[in-house]
Amino acid sequence: MTTATATTLDAEAIGRISDHLDEPDWLREHRAAWWERAGRTPAPTGQEEEWRRTDLAGLPRNGELLVDAPQLIINVPGGLRDGVILTDIRTAVRQHPELVRRFLDARQGQASHAHFWAVAQAAWTGGLFCYVPRGVSVDGTLVARTSLTDASATYLPISLIVADEDSSITLLEEVTSPDGAAGWFGGIVEIQAARGARVRYANLQQLGDGAWNVGAQRVVVGQDAIVTTLNAEVGSKVTKVGLDVQMAGPGGVSKVLGILAAGDDQQIDINTVQDLAADHTTSDLLYLSALYDRAHASFYGVTNVRKGTRQTSSYQECRNLLLSPQAGAEPIPVLEIEANDILRCGHGATAGAIDPTQLFYAQTRGLDHDAAERMIVRGFFEQVVAKIEDETIRGRVLAALAGRIGTSEDLAA
Amino acid sequence: MALPNPALTQIPDSYKYGWNDPEATSLNIAQRGLSADIVEGISRFKGEPEWMTKLRLKAYRHFEARPMPQWGADLSGIDFQDIFYYIAPTNKAVQSWDDVPDYIRRTYDRLGIPEAEKKYLAGVGGQYDSEVVYHNIREDLEKQGVIFLGTDEALKTHPEIFREYFGTVIPANDNKLAALNTAVWSGGSFIYVPKGVHVELPLQAYFRINTENMGQFERTLIIADEGSSVHYVEGCTAPTYSTASLHSAVVEIIVKKGARVRYTTIQNWSHNVYNLVTKRAVAYEDAVMEWVDGNLGSKVTMKYPSIYLLGERAHGEVLSIAFAGSEQHQDAGGKVIHAAPNTTSLITSKSISKGTGRTSYRGLVKVYPGCEKSKSTVRCDALILDEEARSDTYPYMEIDEEDVTIGHEATVSKVGSEQLFYLMSRGLSEAEAAAMIVNGFIEPIVKELPMEYAVEMNRLIQLQMEGAVG
Repeated sequence: MTTATATTLDAEAIGRISDHLDEPDWLREHRAAWWERAGRTPAPTGQEEEWRRTDLAGLPRNGELLVDAPQLIINVPGGLRDGVILTDIRTAVRQHPELVRRFLDARQGQASHAHFWAVAQAAWTGGLFCYVPRGVSVDGTLVARTSLTDASATYLPISLIVADEDSSITLLEEVTSPDGAAGWFGGIVEIQAARGARVRYANLQQLGDGAWNVGAQRVVVGQDAIVTTLNAEVGSKVTKVGLDVQMAGPGGVSKVLGILAAGDDQQIDINTVQDLAADHTTSDLLYLSALYDRAHASFYGVTNVRKGTRQTSSYQECRNLLLSPQAGAEPIPVLEIEANDILRCGHGATAGAIDPTQLFYAQTRGLDHDAAERMIVRGFFEQVVAKIEDETIRGRVLAALAGRIGTSEDLAA
Repeated sequence: MALPNPALTQIPDSYKYGWNDPEATSLNIAQRGLSADIVEGISRFKGEPEWMTKLRLKAYRHFEARPMPQWGADLSGIDFQDIFYYIAPTNKAVQSWDDVPDYIRRTYDRLGIPEAEKKYLAGVGGQYDSEVVYHNIREDLEKQGVIFLGTDEALKTHPEIFREYFGTVIPANDNKLAALNTAVWSGGSFIYVPKGVHVELPLQAYFRINTENMGQFERTLIIADEGSSVHYVEGCTAPTYSTASLHSAVVEIIVKKGARVRYTTIQNWSHNVYNLVTKRAVAYEDAVMEWVDGNLGSKVTMKYPSIYLLGERAHGEVLSIAFAGSEQHQDAGGKVIHAAPNTTSLITSKSISKGTGRTSYRGLVKVYPGCEKSKSTVRCDALILDEEARSDTYPYMEIDEEDVTIGHEATVSKVGSEQLFYLMSRGLSEAEAAAMIVNGFIEPIVKELPMEYAVEMNRLIQLQMEGAVG
């Protein structure tokens, strides 16, 4: 497979993507419109509240754009049935143009990440398309894996996941890239859960140690839909992800989970929005970070309860375990509440070291310091891990974390 | 079930202390607006030493150069050229209550100062417009070497200690409004408590804006020397006017080794006042600093009392209560900066928004590297009484040290229908039950106030809730 290159992202380069992929006119127009919008949406200057903690000066903007995307490896236990689609998005454009066109929407991304959202909508060259028809329940766990081979490239994939009314799906996306050079991974993910749909989505990020992971996700939760998302950030040099959860239909429920395990000089900066825009919606967020070496985690999350909404319920929780004197955390959970008829609303944030009495206790039971520490961190992550109902996802996430926190089998050895 | 609560939605935003005294406007010596000449004129008129004149002019240049803060509350209604920057109602401070001019005494009488003084006060510094007009300090405090003066007077009588500390906690270029205060400050309190002296009764001062478009720029400086303790209480009410006023105070507090300072404020400016205040304390080894900050009045308040914990085992507390009625925005909170090991802090915020009112908690906990074993807890609770009301929580945390315990928790709620139902089943009307719930909500802070302030606070909350308690 060849890799076509474009060193500068501009209107011409965007057009060349369509030429190269032999895309239909509507998609060419979609890209052009988003590129024009990207130009009108200024890139963050670093003065914005959400961007104060990540310096974008080092973002490798001039890497080669991967026009021939790496193959998406898809694992579907039992095969796809009942009209369920899970495929590379370029294939989907050829095979299901009407569906892709219908769901590839024109709505602006989360305000703080609107620029990057627009750039990726214009310049995506790969990604995933998943569609579950009305009333269909997909058994087992669908897995889609992307393995980048070129650490220095720019890759801006789009994942579009649509669960129609009363459908159900569990999907794990994984991305890896080699260590070394600095590249820009700017993936965007959009999940649309229609009325009564159930979606469990996990994203396991294991990019190489030079990678800049600057992307965004949007989750639209329809009436009575239930969506659980898990973002496990393990790799990358810098991760700066916006997560926009829109509680759009009455009775919708979202669980927004995150695990961050960072060491060396890794910087992880997460911006979330939980937008409670409909009555009787529930949105609970739980992000856990374990920070080693000189790693730094920032979390700026906003819960917005919209005017006139009734009986919403929301919570935001961000906990940081500092495992080195040089590690740092800035958890900032923000509430903007414009309605008074709320069922529940709150947030909590903590930062601190492992309780020395816990360490001491574990050591009196025969563990050395490091093994005790790993065990305690595993226990800390259990708050989120226990909420992952799906065994495949839980196993993959724990395996990805093992490099930092070991596994429970270590204790037996 | 949704709670329709007509009793709560019909609370009038009455303002009890909204009278003004017609005589009080006749003694203006300044004009509207600000320039370097006016800044210099204020300093000359006061007969200040050269260094203060220079500092004022330097601060004025900072004020000119800095942009308005773009975060927080909407400040677009402030016109700096439409404000009086200096007014002196009387030319000298007076010692006896009998010497206070009648119209000023009438105003104070309605606030109950003499009664409060009889019972509780160690001394009274009452600020009426820009000058301290009344000062009284009990003899035993004077004997102990405690200095409690108007800030202008202290500059004249204690120049060395004044110059040593003035502007050291909040420098002239700290922020635009602190720069403005440094340029045009007038009045305020100066307190020095010598080593080992414990001031048993709270020191109090009332501040009052009394002229339309009158800016109030008092400057307070408190120094608690090693092992001493003092509680300073400041309360404000202001007459209601139709055009906006600006209140921009600066309060600097130095709490030395082993000393203890509590600073209590109840702010009840009339609803046309922009209340933009910079309050900061530094606490050294084993010192304790406590801010008790009540915000009830004003159109817009932006105030975040802060504490820099600079010595080992220093402890800081901020207790913040905010009540925003219709058209009000209380943007309040607290900041604690841990800059030494084994330091501890506690921020407790209770806010209530009613009508179209908006309360915002905005706070910061920062821990510098090396400040091991530091602990901080932040607790914010908000009560939203009406559909149009709004509450925000912006808790910033910057933790750059591993061996710490830092926690933040916040809840937002309405008056629960179960709570109301329970109280009504015990024979209370819905309105009484709602008022009782609000009182219970703020109780943890009110109980920290001196008694007559707790009474005043309860009365002010009752006034705000008037429609609800019937």
